[in-house]
Amino acid sequence: MIKCKLKVENTLGIHVRPAGYIANIASAAQSSVELIYSEQRVNAKSILNLMMLVVEPGAEVEFLINGSDEQEVADELTTLFKNKFNEDAA
Amino acid sequence: MFIGKASSPGYVIAKTKIIVRQRFTVSPLKIQKDSTASQIEFFRRGVVKAKKEIANLRDLTIKMAGKEESKIFDSHLMILQDPSLIDSVISLIKNDQWNAGYAFHLYMQKLIESFEKSGKVFKNRMQDDLRDIYSRVLLHLSSNDNNFVVQEEIEEAVVLTGFTVGPNMLMQFEKGEILGLALDSGSTTSHVSILARSMQIPAVMGLGNLSESVESGDLLILDGTNGVVIINPDENDINKYKKQIEVFQNQKLELFTMRDLEPITMDGKYIRLNANIEKFEEASDVTSFGATGVGLYRSEFLYFGRDSLPTRSEQAEAYRNVTHQLDPLPVTIRTLDAGGDKMLSSVSMETEDNPFMGWRSIRLCLDRKDIFKEQLKALIEAGDRGNLNIMFPMISGVKEIERSKEIYNDCCAELRLEGIAIPKIRLGAMIEIPSAVMVVEEIAKRVDFLSIGTNDLIQFTLAVDRSNSKISAMYEPHHPAVLRFIKTIVDAAHKAGIPVCVCGEMVSEPLSTLLLMGLGVDEFSMVSWCIMECKKIIRSVNYDEARAISAEALKLSDTDSINDFLRKKYSKKIKGLGISSFITTPAFSTSDRALVRIDDEIQRLGT
Repeated sequence: MIKCKLKVENTLGIHVRPAGYIANIASAAQSSVELIYSEQRVNAKSILNLMMLVVEPGAEVEFLINGSDEQEVADELTTLFKNKFNEDAA
Repeated sequence: MFIGKASSPGYVIAKTKIIVRQRFTVSPLKIQKDSTASQIEFFRRGVVKAKKEIANLRDLTIKMAGKEESKIFDSHLMILQDPSLIDSVISLIKNDQWNAGYAFHLYMQKLIESFEKSGKVFKNRMQDDLRDIYSRVLLHLSSNDNNFVVQEEIEEAVVLTGFTVGPNMLMQFEKGEILGLALDSGSTTSHVSILARSMQIPAVMGLGNLSESVESGDLLILDGTNGVVIINPDENDINKYKKQIEVFQNQKLELFTMRDLEPITMDGKYIRLNANIEKFEEASDVTSFGATGVGLYRSEFLYFGRDSLPTRSEQAEAYRNVTHQLDPLPVTIRTLDAGGDKMLSSVSMETEDNPFMGWRSIRLCLDRKDIFKEQLKALIEAGDRGNLNIMFPMISGVKEIERSKEIYNDCCAELRLEGIAIPKIRLGAMIEIPSAVMVVEEIAKRVDFLSIGTNDLIQFTLAVDRSNSKISAMYEPHHPAVLRFIKTIVDAAHKAGIPVCVCGEMVSEPLSTLLLMGLGVDEFSMVSWCIMECKKIIRSVNYDEARAISAEALKLSDTDSINDFLRKKYSKKIKGLGISSFITTPAFSTSDRALVRIDDEIQRLGT
């Protein structure tokens, strides 16, 4: 099991498109992928769950990843967050 | 300038109002336990259709704007396949017994509201996307046009612009609130066009993306005669059209001299010219346009726009409003013709792959005897003046007419027990399916009259969906196969000693009327304001000559030759009616023979 903390650095937060990216990665994973934010813990494979968390810009979220491909998934998510969900083009 | 299909003639210069496609009203209707499965299926299919649209949009966006831009649609697709959405909506249908549309509405509204407290930018972004998904899916969950409606106040009379308007919606407006229709979709024979003609408002259909190019409040010139729309016209255009409107009104006034004359050919053949009506309020139009009766009263409009079925007494009153008001003129009422593009919200109807060939019309009535019997009893009660004809639509063979008559007789027996006297009522069959044509002699023996519904007969004979603009050019009313079918029907009727009427849209074209009259059709039924011009043309021809011309036309092997031949033979008769162009255009343009806003005219004549 991997725990990884990531910061939301784009200007809009986890709105519909970023939630789609995250859910996409989570759904493709063998591992279970959960996201913890402001005392809520949700299955990250559901885009609606992610959206309902209302993760605003600047927030820090934690992923709990458990399964055979946990390392790959953690890496993918880290890259995604680092790239600010490909939104705020530098 | 936009060019579309001239669907209802006349001219109007007025402000426009856009019908917003995304605005829906859904009704909080509970469903029966036994329709749970069908509602869930309906919901799933709606989602599938919406997903297909989104996928198309995504592909288009990739081409137009690049892959990154298109990602938002991937998110939309994911939302629509998220189990928490699907399961919640299904649970609302299964456990709370909400209809599919309302269940989805409830879920989405709650979801949208849940972002109310988040930051403004975040909230707007979320809610915009969710609303987009909401309306996209709901469009497929509203039964036909039943549910998506602008229920906004109309402050002044306007031309409606939009992607589409359903018949039900149109019926909700008061007379005079809508001056015209300019729609992106549709064709001259779609139901809305027919309705526009009967409401006497000009209409242009199939305008492509007009609604994206106008704003509510823009001034429009709507030319329903030529199928033209001009947005924010300059003074030149306005002056030109003002003149046009004047000429048009003079033509109308001239036609009014026809009102009190008889529809008799020069050699003395009397041709009945009846009116089609949809609402009992229109009964007064029938006589004011000089009709000889009502040839088609579309009873289904009593059933539209409501969640419960009309009661027997309610129906009897509506029918009696017409039969009594017009007594002694004959009134032909068609029994419930729902299904196809006319869905009822009071009857649970599943979405069908092929609704025009589906559970509709007499098929529905024979299955739902409860509905059918209520209507028949109401009709029998309303026939107490002896001027009522009842006609059964979509008869495909002998068995259906026999079963309909059996049920009718059961109703008579039951009414007698209630102490109600049974008046003389004539029963007729509508011939609009090719199979019925092939056994029409058998059908004719069992009824008092035949009525040809040309809209469906043409569509089924040629296998052409009249509302599909890609193939609407193939919808040829004068196709030799159609004419031969009509000849077969007429001959069978006359052999059985009964009259035959034509009540499709086709007869609002003078040339078609002459052709059909020549084939032996005894009666016509049309939009009431077409009657005076039809009378004018009938009074100008010889019946014997018309018989000979139609017999010749029947020998020709293709539509073009038939049209050329007819145009040549009748060129003098149709001159001045402004219809010379109609046959060259695949879609019927009713040309400047219209009598738009004639009620104003009548008032003006009266003062």
